[in-house]
Amino acid sequence: MSATARNLATPTSRIAGQGRAGAMRAMLRSEARLLARNPGVVVWSTVLPVAAAIVLACIPAIRKPSKDLGGLSFFHVYQPILILFAITLLAVQSLPDVLTRYREMGVLKRLRTTPASPALLLFAQLTLTLLVSISCTVLMTVVPALVGASWPQNVAGFVVAYLLAAWALLGLGLLIASLFHNAKVAAGFGTVLFFVVEFFAGLWLQRPNMPDWLRHISDFTPGGAGAQALTDSSVGHWPSALHLIVLAAWGIAMSVASIRLFSWE
Amino acid sequence: MAMIDVRELRKSYGDRTAVDGISFDVQDGEIFGILGPNGAGKTTTVECIAGLRHRDDGSITVAGMDPALEGTEFREAVGVQLQESRLPEKQTVAEALQLYASFYERPRDWRELAERLGLLEQRNTYFGRLSGGQKQRLSVALALIGNPRVAILDELTTGLDPAARREVWGLLEDLRGTGVTLLLVSHFMEEAERLCDRVVVIDRGRIIAADTPEGLAAGVAADQRMSFVPSAAVDPASLRALPDVHTATISGDRIAVTGTDNVAAAVIIALHERGIQAARLRVDQPSLDDAFIALTHKDDPAAELRSGAASGSATKTGTDSQNTAGASR
Repeated sequence: MSATARNLATPTSRIAGQGRAGAMRAMLRSEARLLARNPGVVVWSTVLPVAAAIVLACIPAIRKPSKDLGGLSFFHVYQPILILFAITLLAVQSLPDVLTRYREMGVLKRLRTTPASPALLLFAQLTLTLLVSISCTVLMTVVPALVGASWPQNVAGFVVAYLLAAWALLGLGLLIASLFHNAKVAAGFGTVLFFVVEFFAGLWLQRPNMPDWLRHISDFTPGGAGAQALTDSSVGHWPSALHLIVLAAWGIAMSVASIRLFSWE
Repeated sequence: MAMIDVRELRKSYGDRTAVDGISFDVQDGEIFGILGPNGAGKTTTVECIAGLRHRDDGSITVAGMDPALEGTEFREAVGVQLQESRLPEKQTVAEALQLYASFYERPRDWRELAERLGLLEQRNTYFGRLSGGQKQRLSVALALIGNPRVAILDELTTGLDPAARREVWGLLEDLRGTGVTLLLVSHFMEEAERLCDRVVVIDRGRIIAADTPEGLAAGVAADQRMSFVPSAAVDPASLRALPDVHTATISGDRIAVTGTDNVAAAVIIALHERGIQAARLRVDQPSLDDAFIALTHKDDPAAELRSGAASGSATKTGTDSQNTAGASR
């Protein structure tokens, strides 16, 4: 384990030390191009939630506050769930699939033989995944607002909650890529985990309707904490400290674990 | 000073010793071969030299640097072509070359390299659409794109069909004299014979021979082999009576004879005296292949039996002991 930790640590410090901006740009461009040529997974991960958010926003009844949801509207509860739907699928299912595939192909090992580092490829993938999911989130907030749903009332809170949730989920995806070396197994495990994250976010049973004990568990998951923090912000409150701390803790734990466990071959 | 200097290299995985005290050096500009059967420790050795694995013991210097430190300067100086390493299916040749060129301080011009490797026409072809030979040439190109002083090429032609293999060999021959030091890992003797200035043979983690390919082939003193179709019936026993002949066997209408360097002349003259001609004559020099089999199988009686059987011996007494003496020399 110390050897693999060293693998990740040594080349990372190298890029930082050298400031190889040119190599970073070339890698980002290359990965973006490859993503554009294989758009299947990204389209599949994003079309459904984006379309659902827009359709829901078009229906006036769904925008009305409901007693069943503790005074929130159906849209306010579901918009965060759908936002998390897209990033969870990208981070937990497609990211590990791509990274384990690169490891299987020997691309990461080949990069290790160059003055650049395989960490460059990890950064490029994380950056692209984040950019795609941010684009989806923008679509899922701007288009509904244009057709009559409300804008997030606390934009700063919304952005902070979103970025912390993204960190936690991308970290989770990176951990899956560290634990599983077979792309099919990693993608399969990611799919299962996606349903778990979304269950706690409230996709099937909305958080206001969860029994107390279940909601308390949900509070400590990235899905539940993320959904509640986004909902709170969109109705104008600040996310609760508990949820932000839970998201940050997941982000830190996942990052540390995957840096320790990730191996290039 | 040697471009690559390896002293008493040792590496174990758990309680399995992969490399057990290997030492050799490679001079600047040399093409050096590491040969050995599968699992002999070749890849572990070159991965230690390439700075991809941490050795347990011994010292390695490549272009004056220790690979274990994985310094940027080391990565600039050493290009590596790994066994079974692929690229994304939808990356084109030009894109891969440009991307990898961006990692180096002083890369080669990718167009010039692609042209040299005969890949310019395929520059816009996806990696997934390239033939096996083209993929390997691209792999070599990526090992050379950084303008390295040392290139390490592991099992370059394994899995290629004979035409593609020759294509890659031709390319490496062109590299000779360009100042790049090449370290080649192979289990194809023909490859080493054609390309390498010097070779070491590794078996079970140790060097069992080090020489030029010709020196190795000559060193095992394997029998010369000939075979022919006689124009009239010949009793193999009568050929075995000749002093230069060690074995003579008949299979179908073809007679196979092994013996000393003079065996071909001796047999033709003997036949001629009986008014018999030898048609479809074939004479084989002992090759690096023979040397390799003799070297790597010498403490393995089963293998010796097999190689004995393969050379088809209905032997006369004395032949076996002579063969064995030759093999274990």
